[in-house]
Amino acid sequence: MVWPGWLGGVAVGTYVIIQHWVSGRMLGVSSGYCNFISPFSRLSFFQNAEHGSFNSWRLWFLLGLPIGSFIAAFTSPGFEWHPTFDMGLYDDLLPTVWWVKLPVLFIGGVVMGLGARMAGGCTSGHAISGIALLNPPSFAAAILFFASGLGFVQLLFYLLGR
Amino acid sequence: MKYSFILFGILFGFILSRAGATTFDNYINLFLFRDLQLLWVIASAVLVAGFGVQLLRLARARALFSGEALTFVGKPMTRDLWLGAILFGVGWGMTGSCPGSAVAMLGEGKMAVLATIAGIFVGTYLFAWRDYRRGKSTPCNRSF
Repeated sequence: MVWPGWLGGVAVGTYVIIQHWVSGRMLGVSSGYCNFISPFSRLSFFQNAEHGSFNSWRLWFLLGLPIGSFIAAFTSPGFEWHPTFDMGLYDDLLPTVWWVKLPVLFIGGVVMGLGARMAGGCTSGHAISGIALLNPPSFAAAILFFASGLGFVQLLFYLLGR
Repeated sequence: MKYSFILFGILFGFILSRAGATTFDNYINLFLFRDLQLLWVIASAVLVAGFGVQLLRLARARALFSGEALTFVGKPMTRDLWLGAILFGVGWGMTGSCPGSAVAMLGEGKMAVLATIAGIFVGTYLFAWRDYRRGKSTPCNRSF
């Protein structure tokens, strides 16, 4: 079950304010990935003020996400939970054989993870929190996120002759 | 306080799902202008959050958990931001997910995101490794 876009956005926006007011932290997802790497790496980038990554709210936040989306699926009409590698319309765009498709997704993830750290945030930190704060670098990042995603998918469709 | 964030995560994961951010098709349809669901989500989220932030600022609100004054500091501009944002967009369009929604998709059984998530970890590590090679030592984020 999916809400109309505007309603989903009102829910996200309200959530951002509640989280900030209650905890003093602005929403931002991607740097939470660092906290999962911390126990396994000695690179200073992953060493926080207080060593021990399990001491971060970001890690617990990330762990909560799949529980929340499971509840959302569970409470949808016609609920059926079955693990699948199907990706809807993306299956027309990506290679169909799993041993090519998964490496392509992996490379997409590498590019996205590296890009998020270089940009200093992802969709949530820049496009939502950053623009809500009227922060100029976040406007730049969000516009480039869109422009680049758009350009890439359009180009891919053009090249594939779809 | 940090453990309470599992509840925040559950709430946000639920909202992401209901907003359609855990549906692959919504990404491809956004980038092909076929269905702007996710654009409306982000636009109205920014509008509501923007007004809310101004209200909290005007009210000089304090964090309910800690009693500390709320801060409203944006992320800095860096030389890396431009290229980073372009790379991020490519990955976003290519995988049909973003770092938050990919994790949430796991809860709906969309297992292809396991490859994406593994990639995000490697990408994050590559950045840290580059920092290390350049002799930089800024931490990714700070814990409580």
